[in-house]
Amino acid sequence: MVSESLKIAGTERSPEIEFDFERGFLRFRGESYPEDASAVFGPVFVALDRFLAEAGGREIQAEFDLAYFNSSSAKALMNIFLRLDSAAAAGTPVSVRWLHAPDDDTMREFGEDFGEDLDHVVFTLVAADPAG
Amino acid sequence: MLAKYYRAFKEDLDQRGIIFSFSGYLSEGILYSLGEALRQKMTLEETDIGTVKKVFSVFIEQSQNIIRYSAEKLASDSGGPIELSSGMVTIGSENNRFFIVCGNVVLANDEPRLRERLERLQGMDKDQIKAYYKEQLREAPEEASRGATIGLIEIARRASDPIEFDFERIDPDSFFFCMKVSI
Repeated sequence: MVSESLKIAGTERSPEIEFDFERGFLRFRGESYPEDASAVFGPVFVALDRFLAEAGGREIQAEFDLAYFNSSSAKALMNIFLRLDSAAAAGTPVSVRWLHAPDDDTMREFGEDFGEDLDHVVFTLVAADPAG
Repeated sequence: MLAKYYRAFKEDLDQRGIIFSFSGYLSEGILYSLGEALRQKMTLEETDIGTVKKVFSVFIEQSQNIIRYSAEKLASDSGGPIELSSGMVTIGSENNRFFIVCGNVVLANDEPRLRERLERLQGMDKDQIKAYYKEQLREAPEEASRGATIGLIEIARRASDPIEFDFERIDPDSFFFCMKVSI
């Protein structure tokens, strides 16, 4: 039985991260340019690996609502996408929503680039005004 | 004398189009505050969002490079986690474009590899830089680089012209390294 969840409050330079195991819902929101990206994203890798090991192929819905991230955060995000894509290849249904502000070409392009690299995840780009 | 001296100093900065310039020990807290001031200034002047994002991104990558790689560091005696890196970051505008310049001391041993990386990026067009970025995103970080390659590629991606850079030898063991990006 998977019951634990991960919830990390956002800071000035790191995103709010929520992983609700019950719903299989993973969300990143805010900005990400911490000094040490591995310290911020490390717990997500651990939680994701545990969820995938214990959840027996249950669906994952992930939402990325990021306004800005630096290059080391981009590497961490790629790492998460690679894990999600291999889980999807092994039969776990995975859907990703990538949110960007309608006039933010940089974040839209990042979304397109990540989406192109994923073969098994259902990837959707969503142009939306940032949540309050 | 005091006012005359510092007025001349400030006028020199103003004439060079400098919005702000920071020189000294740079921390992540300072980086955050300078970044916020930069975004506020550009937003107040109704700079378009794409330009604000590009300038901010180059500023963050350059500043984090200084924090990680500057050879001029102040570490606590106990060898604890407190460590400050020295360098300078300057942002300004000239000919209707923004420029971001960083400068810091690098070890002579690190100079050839940094030069080689930057020359490689200078020789690439936008599509090649984007493809290189995507390729490096999947790579494990090079030993001791702590992610420098991807940071430099991000800077090259946001730049409107190829990155300008220069090294000046300080002594047998070190160089002053400088990089200028226009947007």
